[in-house]
Amino acid sequence: MPEPPAIAERLVRWLVGGRDADAVAGDLRETYHARGGSALWYWGQALSCAAVRFSGHRRVLPGLGQDFTHALRSIRRNPGYALTAMLCLALALGVNTTLFALLDSLYFRRLPVHDAGRLLLIQRTTTPFCSWREYLEFRDRLRTLRAASTVMFSGEAHVGPRTYGVVAECVSGNFGAVLQPGISAGRWFASDTEDAVVLSYGFWKSKLNGDPGVLGREILLERARLRVIGVGSSTFRGAFPPFASDLWVPTGALPSHGPSGPPVGVIARLAPGSTRQSADAEIRLLDAGLRADPGSARANDPAILQPIRGLLWRRGRRVLQPVVSLMSLLCAAVLLIACVNVANLLLSRAAVRERELAIRTALGASRWRLFRARLAESLVIAAGAAVLGVVAGEAAGRALQAAVPSIPEEGFRGLAFGIDARTALFLFAASPLSAFFFTAASGGRGHARRRRVYSVVQVTLSLTLLVGTGLLLRAMQHVERADPGFAQERRLAIHLYGPPAALRMALDRARSLPGVQDATLASSLLGPDSGGCAALSAAAPVRRTERNTVEPNYFAMMRVPILRGAGFTGAPGVLVNETMARASWPGDDPLGKPLWIGCDAAQRTVAPVVGVVRDTTWALDPVTEPAYYLPLDEGGGDRPVSLIVRTAGEPYEWSRPLIEALAMVSPDLRVYDAESIADAMRLAFWETRWRAALLGSLGALAILLAAIGLYGVVSCSVAQRTREIGVRMAIGAQPVDVQWMFLAEALRLTAIGVAAGLVLSAATVRLLRGFLYGLSPFAPAAFVGASLAWVLIAMLASWWPARRATRVDPLTALKYD
Amino acid sequence: MERLGEFEQLVLLAVMRLTDGAYGVPIQQEIEERAGRRVTVGALYATLDRLEGKRLLESWFADPTPQRGGRSKRYFRLTAAGESALAESKAAYDRMWRGVRLKGGSRA
Repeated sequence: MPEPPAIAERLVRWLVGGRDADAVAGDLRETYHARGGSALWYWGQALSCAAVRFSGHRRVLPGLGQDFTHALRSIRRNPGYALTAMLCLALALGVNTTLFALLDSLYFRRLPVHDAGRLLLIQRTTTPFCSWREYLEFRDRLRTLRAASTVMFSGEAHVGPRTYGVVAECVSGNFGAVLQPGISAGRWFASDTEDAVVLSYGFWKSKLNGDPGVLGREILLERARLRVIGVGSSTFRGAFPPFASDLWVPTGALPSHGPSGPPVGVIARLAPGSTRQSADAEIRLLDAGLRADPGSARANDPAILQPIRGLLWRRGRRVLQPVVSLMSLLCAAVLLIACVNVANLLLSRAAVRERELAIRTALGASRWRLFRARLAESLVIAAGAAVLGVVAGEAAGRALQAAVPSIPEEGFRGLAFGIDARTALFLFAASPLSAFFFTAASGGRGHARRRRVYSVVQVTLSLTLLVGTGLLLRAMQHVERADPGFAQERRLAIHLYGPPAALRMALDRARSLPGVQDATLASSLLGPDSGGCAALSAAAPVRRTERNTVEPNYFAMMRVPILRGAGFTGAPGVLVNETMARASWPGDDPLGKPLWIGCDAAQRTVAPVVGVVRDTTWALDPVTEPAYYLPLDEGGGDRPVSLIVRTAGEPYEWSRPLIEALAMVSPDLRVYDAESIADAMRLAFWETRWRAALLGSLGALAILLAAIGLYGVVSCSVAQRTREIGVRMAIGAQPVDVQWMFLAEALRLTAIGVAAGLVLSAATVRLLRGFLYGLSPFAPAAFVGASLAWVLIAMLASWWPARRATRVDPLTALKYD
Repeated sequence: MERLGEFEQLVLLAVMRLTDGAYGVPIQQEIEERAGRRVTVGALYATLDRLEGKRLLESWFADPTPQRGGRSKRYFRLTAAGESALAESKAAYDRMWRGVRLKGGSRA
């Protein structure tokens, strides 16, 4: 009897699948013979079996449900290893999810408003802000865009008897119409001059307990009486995410804002029908007209449109970027360690299941089928880990949130971490991927050796993290102890903003207070700050330098010695620091030499150098930058200024009386909070402290995971060698010898891991160079300390299972299979 | 009550007619001979699967035979639900046909 075509038959079996494949193939064979063996007919029938494959009642992947039931059953029988795996993975996933949330909010997230794609920020290359006059021009003359203004500030809001420190935005009246952020109660502003306030949803819920009668209540903010006319939608937290505002006030309601106020951020929405290109063109044209004005300082600084994604605050981005890059690397390492852990756990299960797998293979299971079975189990673990990971991620987010107040940058106070839809999506995508990875990593032969290799890899990675943490801690200590070059004790600083006349009045007022021994003004509190430019001659290249604008008695009061020449005497002059004197006039006396000051070639001033002062270190830089000092009247401008007082006693005793006195000085003067210089210095190190804390906690997590891994390896080793232990003990080995057997194995693995880790550390610590403030990354203390720490951890991790080995009863062990 | 499609009714009727010996090959032959419809094995089994999914049929596997090269057979049988579904379909058609006279003479 002729055989039906073999390939067609294979096709039939593949399409139909399962047990029916046999039946269908058999039917076809019968009919084939009855019909006299036409191959063409057979092929036609074979192809029609595709209908079976895709019929609604047949599962596309036969046996998938079976895989999952089997996986669940197997996990239920041995919950211990599954829970450990889920926990390890959940920790790593939680940490990574928080990182993703951070990255997302830094770079990608759009504003949670209607049609956010059409919102743009109008900014310049040197600053994200525009002056109020410029904003008015944009608002009135742009056709393709509708512009609104906003500027963040902090203050105290009095609601009834209680006072809250709030972060608020002072916005133009059309803010609601332009951004379209939605509202959950009431309405947005109708005009610039309403004495009204819109509360944020978060503020309303947490501080006012979701009071349903909040509309119409009165709030006192910066001496303005405002009525609550609306509550924002639950997702909108302000125009500059991830900063969160507590409330919004129109510019007309606060006299210190608007035309006489600080520069504003301008957000514009594309008018219906306008395109980005037409808006770009219009802005360029309009802005060119504005900049052509003789009074404009923006000749070389065109306005550009930027879509609103992630963090717009450039300085914030710059500050966070290196930390975030470092964190990303670490979180990836932690995830790797966790996956390796889970792979190890799976491997140890696989050793136990070898027999089951052998039977399945003998019965005809393909490699793919076996892989799928293991994948099903991993996916169940990954799903459990994802759920736990949400909890872990929330916890990590909360912990970060709680640490945020230690950051002095005001805007960060509103930072909100947490799991939202996108991060949850990331979490639920990451877990099956990692499931796939560790399933692949745990398949195949050679279980015992693979487990050991994985354990060594874990030790290597976590040792590297530990070394990094040690280095950062060392740098932190070094920086905090360094002498900044100016006096810190009994100095209190109050941040002010206002015109020079008001500042002068404030200075006089401060000096007249009892308890204040002396007072001075400086634009930059902790030494010269960036933003200055200087050139040695009219034609010489303009170089960016640091600068500080100060009152003449600054140097005396802050104990910054004037090494040569004299201070400011009222005649035009500029003081330079040692570094600048050395760099610009090497070998020569800088006194009397002219200096061209200013970044804008058209608007420079010339002044003779009248003195050289001692360097101060902006303690975060190991290298001192060249800097110059100008007297306050000339350098002024629109930056906040610090009033520094030397107090008779504890600086903070005088903060309240000082602030109250200064608030009375002038309506043009805005008084912010007060802090002692010592505290300001300490806060300035928040970057180092944060870095050390982040790296430290991730490192600790990595070590925890690796220690769990080592524990697992030794446990498994004990379980596998039970018979051998029985034999040894029967022959006469002491418990101590058995214990030592396993400890030695653990120490051997650790030693290899530590050696590899030291090599890896040596290769990668140079990445930390930017964070170490001039210290060498190759500090032996860190390397040696980390290695010793790991040896100790390894002994601890393997002590318990090793001890269990001694409990083995020789008799049962010998019978063990 | 499930609505049965035309082909589904043919398949159910064929299974019913074959009583004990209803597996793939005779079902196919029955439909081809009596109803004059060409049936591919794929369409047949897709329908059989669907009917089984709707619980109008039940199936079981029987011994292999040498003609089938050692492959087993899958037998089908109507369930009670299947019988009532068929009866309902027939009743519906009967009601529609009552009193209809076709040109050319045949009468319900």
